[in-house]
Amino acid sequence: MTDYFSYVESLFKEGEKREPPLKGIRVVELTHFVFGPNVGRILAQFGAEVVKIETPGEGERYRLAAVFGRYYNRTNLVYGIQNANKYFIAADARNAKAREIIFELAKRADVFVENFRAGLADAMGVGYAQISKVNPKIVYVSCSGFGQYGPLSKAPSFDVAAQGVASLAVKTGWKEIEEFYKLPDYFGDYLPSMMVVFAVLNALYHREKTGKGQYIDVSQTESLVRFLYDIPYFSLTGQEIGKTGNIDPCASPSGIFKTADEKFVAIAIMTEKQFKALASVVEGLKDGERMRKEKIDELNQIVEKWVAKHTLAEILEFAKKLGFPASPVLNDVEVFKDPWRWERKSIVKILDRLYGEIPVTGAFVAMSATPGNTKWIARPVGYHNRLILKKWLGMSDEQIKKLEEEDVIGYWDEQPGCAPPPIWEPDKDPVFKGEKDE
Amino acid sequence: MSRDEILMKLFAEDNKPFALEDIKVAEIAGENFAGAIAGSLLAEFGAKVIRVDFDDEAKKISPYGAEVNGCGIPYLVESRNKELVKFDEKIKKEIMSCDVIIDGMKPGELDSLGIGYRQISERNPGVVYIAVSPYGHFTQKAREFANVPDSDLTAQAYNGYPSIIGNPYLTEKYSYPLKAGMWAAWAMAGINAAVGAMIALIERKKSGKGQFVDVATHDALAVIHAFPTIVGFLFDKPRTRYGTLDFILYPFGYYRVKDGYIALATPTDPDFRALLKIIKRWDLEPDWRYSLDRISDDPVKIKALDDELNKELQKYTVKELVAKARKKSKGKLIGRFLGAPVIVKLNKLQELLKDPHWKVRNSLISFNPDGKEILIPNTAVKMSETPPRIIKILGRELKKS
Repeated sequence: MTDYFSYVESLFKEGEKREPPLKGIRVVELTHFVFGPNVGRILAQFGAEVVKIETPGEGERYRLAAVFGRYYNRTNLVYGIQNANKYFIAADARNAKAREIIFELAKRADVFVENFRAGLADAMGVGYAQISKVNPKIVYVSCSGFGQYGPLSKAPSFDVAAQGVASLAVKTGWKEIEEFYKLPDYFGDYLPSMMVVFAVLNALYHREKTGKGQYIDVSQTESLVRFLYDIPYFSLTGQEIGKTGNIDPCASPSGIFKTADEKFVAIAIMTEKQFKALASVVEGLKDGERMRKEKIDELNQIVEKWVAKHTLAEILEFAKKLGFPASPVLNDVEVFKDPWRWERKSIVKILDRLYGEIPVTGAFVAMSATPGNTKWIARPVGYHNRLILKKWLGMSDEQIKKLEEEDVIGYWDEQPGCAPPPIWEPDKDPVFKGEKDE
Repeated sequence: MSRDEILMKLFAEDNKPFALEDIKVAEIAGENFAGAIAGSLLAEFGAKVIRVDFDDEAKKISPYGAEVNGCGIPYLVESRNKELVKFDEKIKKEIMSCDVIIDGMKPGELDSLGIGYRQISERNPGVVYIAVSPYGHFTQKAREFANVPDSDLTAQAYNGYPSIIGNPYLTEKYSYPLKAGMWAAWAMAGINAAVGAMIALIERKKSGKGQFVDVATHDALAVIHAFPTIVGFLFDKPRTRYGTLDFILYPFGYYRVKDGYIALATPTDPDFRALLKIIKRWDLEPDWRYSLDRISDDPVKIKALDDELNKELQKYTVKELVAKARKKSKGKLIGRFLGAPVIVKLNKLQELLKDPHWKVRNSLISFNPDGKEILIPNTAVKMSETPPRIIKILGRELKKS
């Protein structure tokens, strides 16, 4: 019998490959920033055809949100990866004629995603009631800070706000220091957005059986609160867990420690077995109510001293040999250059038609028979107007030209993040002209 | 009917069907709670989930060891709608016939017991096999670290997360990389796994075949938010901890005010200008350093502005600031598209629990073992046709409210 790891590897490398799982699913999104857009990104990784509608000119405002203001070939890679594999249309939903186009697209869509503040999509005329009237089979999802109904529902939200209201923000940091840190890189958007994807796929699964569409309401705050074990802990003990620094209160000892070679290692002992494994090399580490608050501190001090005497590599060797959780604390560049991630294809290099060779994140999970992928990053504002109006709505060049003249649809303004790369030539781009698909 | 009433009626649970009532899942996840979270999501949406335990270790994992009837809190919360069973030969047969297997054990362990993908897929080619582990079930690294168990903290670390949390200006251990205050990596990995399962189940409707879905908790965050890839490529230099600031937007964080803390975000320039108006610091607006370019690439410059904001914000109460930020301008249509800062109160846990909003939305459910009420977060999703919901906890049916 082949050894297990080789067997699994052969499934991924040589196993049967089938068509993209979400091929044929059409998604229309009126989204901005992260929460809404990430839904389409994930669906598109696995073959859904996602059309994103933006306002002409500057497009959605996350186009300008570049890390430390850095652009690449006049595009913003943050926005680019966030909106990879999508098609871009620019039509202002406030314009009645543009709204007609949105409706025509929505009629042909399986999924509609919006993430405005609750009620705004209705006011713009593209809410669930309006869209489901023209397409009763639609799976329509509204993403918001606090949900579509309830006293807080109209309040505006953002990642940082949702983390604050969810009482997640008061949990990260040091007890002794009066500062609160958010979970970075828009965790309050990304986690809820994956919850949305899960709900949408469930709705599609149900629709496959019954033919029925439906309305989905997901809030950032509730998605975060879902994982707050502090709530049952509080009803049970009457105490708040609050800030615990680097301790995981479910693990003892646990923390982030500095090694002899000045690196950081995370260790978290979840079980008795793991405790025994660690105790077999750490002198003085004795059990006895190891989960008690004061005891965790006491055990951590012993581990801290032990870690300080060993290099990171030595500690990882102990972890492998004895079987306890320990991992290095990586930084951005170490993550980016990690050969393991490249081998898993969670980071890949693509040759983008507009922006050249760039590294991007690959599919969010590895699937043996239907691997997902990132084919192209976001395009300039309105870049696929012609392609999609032809492909989805069967419009002629003349009809499209008329819409352009009437300013119903539009294109980018010259800001970085919105516009094509400087050397790009529209006449030589068949996709832009709507003659060829990506 | 008001919009709220219409929506509440639309989302009412009534006796609606579940989306996944035809799906049977075996969750064999041991102490890996990312696997248990994946099982929970499928269970909330109506899949019949059998949680198979080899021992009681997972039940012992709990904040400071807190227990309800001999069961830790994460296990309690993630027991939603599941049938809880002990592993034995009889259950093996049932596992073999499941639509979805969630394997959170050490890579290869189930294979050695004869219930890995290799054996199940032979008899049941439609099986969707979800493996959840630190480094996945293939690659050289996975093999090398197969014996290292998973934890949320180590997964956060390998995702590069703690490296960017915390304040580098503090001293000693306070300047260390800092963990996120919740199971951030396990929660994300759990949802990723559940989403992977759904994609495979949808595909199975077409092909009739299952497949192997591999989730690495040690990559679950980085593969989603993508920032290490972008920063690694553009700068070839890692981000450091940035205190209470953000790498893209400013301001975007938590601020102390007269009587508490607020979360404050001004994602665009109009929003920032609206903030200056609210706190009566319009004098800062013409300053070339702040008017347009608030890109946080220059910590010195941002710090100077941050000091100004900090000083000014402390003159107002939470209530005043929230009210000012939400005040509608007179021209209704235009008002909607003008800037406004996002300001909300930074809640402590008990403040969250007191807010009537969650009651209206039924965001928390109540479990009453031995007459003591324990609040548990409900499903986070509302759906009009197939509402997910919690029917039982720890195998006990909940009373209908």
